[in-house]
Amino acid sequence: MNAEAVGPALAGLLPRIAGAGELQGLTRLTGGATKATWSFDRVGRGGERQSLILQQTVARAAPSGAGGKSAPKLTGSEDAQLMIAAREAGVPAPRVLHVLAPEDGLGEGYVTERVEGETLGKRVVGDAAFAQVRPRLAAQCGEILAAIHRLPTARVPFLARLTAAEELSIYAGLLAPYGFVHPALSYAIRWIGERLPPDDRVGVVHADFRTGNLIVHPGDGIRCVLDWEIARIGDPMHDLGVLCMRSWRFGGQGECGGFGSREDLYAAYEKASGRSVDPERVRFWEAFSNLKWAIACVRRGSSRTGVELAAIGRRLEEPLWDFMALAGARS
Amino acid sequence: MPAFVPSAATLLQAAADDLERDVLPALSGLPRYRVRIVLNVLRLVTRELEQAPQADAAERERLVALLGGSDDALPALRADLGGRFERGELPLDDPALVAHLTAGLREALAIDSPGWTRER
Repeated sequence: MNAEAVGPALAGLLPRIAGAGELQGLTRLTGGATKATWSFDRVGRGGERQSLILQQTVARAAPSGAGGKSAPKLTGSEDAQLMIAAREAGVPAPRVLHVLAPEDGLGEGYVTERVEGETLGKRVVGDAAFAQVRPRLAAQCGEILAAIHRLPTARVPFLARLTAAEELSIYAGLLAPYGFVHPALSYAIRWIGERLPPDDRVGVVHADFRTGNLIVHPGDGIRCVLDWEIARIGDPMHDLGVLCMRSWRFGGQGECGGFGSREDLYAAYEKASGRSVDPERVRFWEAFSNLKWAIACVRRGSSRTGVELAAIGRRLEEPLWDFMALAGARS
Repeated sequence: MPAFVPSAATLLQAAADDLERDVLPALSGLPRYRVRIVLNVLRLVTRELEQAPQADAAERERLVALLGGSDDALPALRADLGGRFERGELPLDDPALVAHLTAGLREALAIDSPGWTRER
């Protein structure tokens, strides 16, 4: 949908979900190749301004036969329900004002409040404006992750339950249609398969909790956690592994997110959760997450939807290089 | 290949230099972002034209040594190694195998993402 189509539908919706007022400054934000994010303001009669976001999500394709599990992907409504449950549990998720209904004429998705702050990884890890707050971010991540992991799973029954073994079979299976042969990829798939951890600890896992998906404020630090759509029930150490991936450090200092130390992350997580961090388990999930990012690179590189997505295919060797280091194979 | 002058790599380099010097400064917003991506792709393909023949030859030589004298072309050799991993036939901690994979990734990164092997 373009702005000419979104504008009138959104203006009609506003009074019902946020109150009387004029729609101003409707802008499609860059980023989000598979979905559309719109920023806009509601300006009330007295001139008060409310900053809002419209998130249009892609309708989920029907599960592909055979009854096998597929890669987690929440619908717009499930995504919103999860964020509502997360906020109730004290997690800084976006505040949902409305879940889109068919009669809204805007497809699937939701409207949230807009949180001021920076998401661009390069700025969060490098800009002088964030120099003061950077040392606090790793501990904040540990506290927020502990809160996510203790969300009552009964509140979010739509989340898929994935063991590490299921996750490997799903993501390795995504490669099959491409017939792409890369020995380092085959090596990584086997290495992970031979080291699957016991399925002993489970909780809500965000699975994409990383620099770039966090709104950071120069004074407060992390104000909001975005991009919940691939959340699942699984091993909580998964989230710590993703956060420490080198691909999401954006050249910054510190193995945690490009802004902090693993020690700060682990200590804050243990204090907030009362559960110990298993560094070997985190390392496994960091390696596995690099494998999954490599698989995603192959898939994007095989798409025919423009140079931006295609060029991501050429980032394939970055996570594979990091994988070899994490596997202890490369010195 | 015909006796072209200039070479493909030289042409691409010139195109990238022109874009960067004369076009990029006049742009902002989404067009600037897009041209930056195109520029990066041009530079990447230039490196590929210059480095890929040597990288392929080195990879093939290593694979022939590892897999025992097969005389197949590179794609078949790669598929052979990948298949052996999948069937669980090779020990993952074999230093020669690890050295081969690492060397291949290093050669590919020199084209796709120079600098990635230096950091950390």
